[in-house]
Amino acid sequence: MATAPKDFRFGNFVGSLVWLIFWIIVIVSLVGLPLIFIILFYIPLPYSNGEVITPYLFLSMIVDPTRTVPIIKFIIHTDFFRAAVFPGFAFAAMIAATTIFVERKFLAKMQLRTGPLYAGKIEGILQLIADGLKLISKEIIAPSGADKPIFWSTPVIFVATAAALTVLIPVAPGWVGADLDVGLLAIFAILGFFPLIALLFSWSSNSKYPFIGGLRALHQMIAFEIPFILSALSIVLLSGSLNLTDIVESQYSFWFFIIAPLSAFVFYISSLAELERVPFDLPEAESEIVAGWLTETSGMIYGLIQLGTYLKLYVLAALFVILFLGGWMGPQIFPQEIIPGYTGEKIYNATVVNGIFWFTLKTFGMIMLILLPRGINPRIRIDILLHTGWYKLIVLSFINMFIVLAMIYGGVITPGGLQ
Amino acid sequence: MTNEFSESLEKKLEETTKLGLEVVKEAAEDRLMKLSVGPQHPGSGHFRFTIKVDGDYIVYCDPDPGYVHRGEEKMCEYRNFIQNIPHLERPVIHDSTNITYSYSLAVEELLGIDVPRRGQFIRAIASELNRQVYTLYWLAIYGIFLGHSTMFMWPAGDRELFIDLLTALTGARVTHAFNIPGGVRNDIPDGFKEKCLEYVNYFEKRLKEYENIFYNNPLFRQRTENVGILTKDDAINLGVTGSVLRASGVAYDVRKVEPYDVYNEIDFKVQYMKTCDSFARAYVPFLDMRESCHIIRQLLDKMPESGEVRMKLQSNPKGVPGEAYKRVESGRGALSYYIVSDGSSRPYRVKISVGSFRNILALPHLLVGSRLGDMPSIYWALNYWPVEADR
Amino acid sequence: MSSSIIKKTSTATGFIKAIESGSKHLIMKRFTLRFPEQKLKFVGDGYQFDPKRGVGIAGSRGRHILFHEKCTGCQLCAITCEGIAEAIEMVKVNEKWKQNKKSIMPQIDYGKCVFCGLCVDACPFYALYMTDDFELSSFTKEHLIYTPAQLAVKPKYDGTVEVKIDERGASHG
Repeated sequence: MATAPKDFRFGNFVGSLVWLIFWIIVIVSLVGLPLIFIILFYIPLPYSNGEVITPYLFLSMIVDPTRTVPIIKFIIHTDFFRAAVFPGFAFAAMIAATTIFVERKFLAKMQLRTGPLYAGKIEGILQLIADGLKLISKEIIAPSGADKPIFWSTPVIFVATAAALTVLIPVAPGWVGADLDVGLLAIFAILGFFPLIALLFSWSSNSKYPFIGGLRALHQMIAFEIPFILSALSIVLLSGSLNLTDIVESQYSFWFFIIAPLSAFVFYISSLAELERVPFDLPEAESEIVAGWLTETSGMIYGLIQLGTYLKLYVLAALFVILFLGGWMGPQIFPQEIIPGYTGEKIYNATVVNGIFWFTLKTFGMIMLILLPRGINPRIRIDILLHTGWYKLIVLSFINMFIVLAMIYGGVITPGGLQ
Repeated sequence: MTNEFSESLEKKLEETTKLGLEVVKEAAEDRLMKLSVGPQHPGSGHFRFTIKVDGDYIVYCDPDPGYVHRGEEKMCEYRNFIQNIPHLERPVIHDSTNITYSYSLAVEELLGIDVPRRGQFIRAIASELNRQVYTLYWLAIYGIFLGHSTMFMWPAGDRELFIDLLTALTGARVTHAFNIPGGVRNDIPDGFKEKCLEYVNYFEKRLKEYENIFYNNPLFRQRTENVGILTKDDAINLGVTGSVLRASGVAYDVRKVEPYDVYNEIDFKVQYMKTCDSFARAYVPFLDMRESCHIIRQLLDKMPESGEVRMKLQSNPKGVPGEAYKRVESGRGALSYYIVSDGSSRPYRVKISVGSFRNILALPHLLVGSRLGDMPSIYWALNYWPVEADR
Repeated sequence: MSSSIIKKTSTATGFIKAIESGSKHLIMKRFTLRFPEQKLKFVGDGYQFDPKRGVGIAGSRGRHILFHEKCTGCQLCAITCEGIAEAIEMVKVNEKWKQNKKSIMPQIDYGKCVFCGLCVDACPFYALYMTDDFELSSFTKEHLIYTPAQLAVKPKYDGTVEVKIDERGASHG
């Protein structure tokens, strides 16, 4: 129940509003606009249809519906858009947000609870926004004796590293932020940064429990890095390429899951360990070491690390789909044109939309599979974890690799399909 | 301390040295990390123990109870026999019927009164229902200690069934204040018997699901099997009780050994296991829950249809000079009261002996030489309730 | 007496059974009681006591209800509470009753009350009972102190939800 303060006068309120608007207008016109024009002077303006797009032209083109489509087309093909919005960060963040909500509801359903229920009319669908607002408004507490520069910068680095991964994921033919020839290697290289970040953060927070948690994270990620890469290697043998787009396209006739199920299993287990999810959440084991390397996180530091973790979850699920489940391949279910008979400039491309649809569907299925163990398993112990990583999973992935090699040398399959 | 016990301690020391550990010496302190578990730690409750770890191994453990000491025994000396009931159940509010059960038995012996037969049956029913409530709560915490969030929610949800029954029976959700010297406070309400049978039958089905998702889960078994071995001799020498004792292969249950009230008419088995590890300590309470369901059904069946439930006493009863000692099997083991009376309306001295405090003595014995990751599974399997131990 | 040995299952079987058990619960009903919208139905009409038989009548132990026409101001409830919670205080009331010469009646501080109901057991005149109402929270401590006039009001409690058990599990309502 909001109540007005005692000395409240409506006139003062309106006066303060007018005052505020006055200053905004003054600052924008005297500082903001000149600044924009100074910056524009140095930026090479883009071309479209033989015209230089100045801000005035841009505005007039947006108002004119017949000229809007080329503008949009132009924008969505820039590298910035791809990295920041569509196959890149914003898309991944959207999926991450959905994942958090789905995870909470899914787990609640399994545990005979309701889950988020009150924020938003339908089943608490706005819970994430409420949580985000709460995290933003909370005070961030840095422990005394913490290494301040590292403590404040690691969460940002964590998210940035996770966001760097999202750029490498192709979601549809031609839709990838950075189409590297060594895409797979690049992903593994970036993933290798995470234990380092965890260790840095735990060391900088100057506390015992985070330190133990950080060491555990290091142990775990090193133990599972090798089976992780080995399991992906049999796919490289099958497709003959490290480029993720090529890997997807070589699965045109069949999914690699059929030939490399053991590798897929190893990859799945390793990605659970890489993500620190149950049953491999030792670095965050709350009953043993409080909250592991996240013990001293508070407010938006925690929020950023969670965001990074869920971005990572999306990337690893997407990678599984690309390597084993044929990426965006799927039957064409979207019509070739939405508006029949329209021959003008088109944004809609049936193949791309179809690819995005199948890719997202498969990725969500995979995310659900990664969420599932959280409901049914307790935490594993560190010696069993290391034993599993070093002895069992490596052997399994080698077995599958030899099977694949035998099939290739035996002439059953060639890189790129059945013979 | 017997010879065998010191031998087994020596064996344990040998094992730890075999693992490449150095027994704590002053010079070796530097390589050890001292960790404080509790009282502001998610894995301890209102209780603190300090451990020292060498790498991943615990080499030293020092339990430090007393954080929530309330002086229950002294408080008893300033209140009369009836007024003691509400504050005596505070140490274990989720097992409150059992902690007042043995008190009532002891006071009845002092006052020289008999409880009506129907009252005895209602007492036993309330006691068994409360045992389920306690054990489910314990199991829920055990689940979340091992990182199994589903095993936290299911028992916590199913516990509501028994709380619902107890609310109908006693009128309060957790602090029942139901047992009273002379019987129970009130008769069972209408329709209680049918409701109770329905819930118990449903609950037995749920127990199978617990087994599937928790006790038969390979990860759970890997974590608890052969962890924290407490041999039969050690268990007897350390004086542990309840499910911890039964998990070490000793079939000891106060309900069977010294049957009180109507328990000699009930046919039930004492559940025990011979594996002596954390898994056995986690599994024996589960078996007890299953056995409790049988007991509740028998009690409901054999209960007389009508009759008195409470002996009519004067409001301020005076005891005869003397002493009484009574014990019952609570959720955590033998729970006994020793009451001395000097003939006035207040007890002269009350001594409470609880299962929790006896079980915690085994903690240093089990923790030294085990891994840090085994700490929650060993600690909580001891069936320890910090508030009760501090009294 | 029996020694129980649980059957050892293989790792794969254990996992499959656990997954099966977990996914089976996806179609089961939620057990949660959505409290402010749903309220539990209690047995009986609140805890009552029959001093003649010396036995209580089963019911929920919520806040008290005081019958002014029966209270004699004997203070037995206050004396009982002295050793338990010290929640009951006898206060003067501006009422004239034939049986209550001193015109004093209990006033209960719910900040201290532990809802044990022993004051109900102590009352020999059927004047003090308990009711279903347990929603007593207030913004100040003073509001938790219920005067005899407030205690005389019969509370409204509309709990309707009960635990239901069917083939899709137990649920509230």
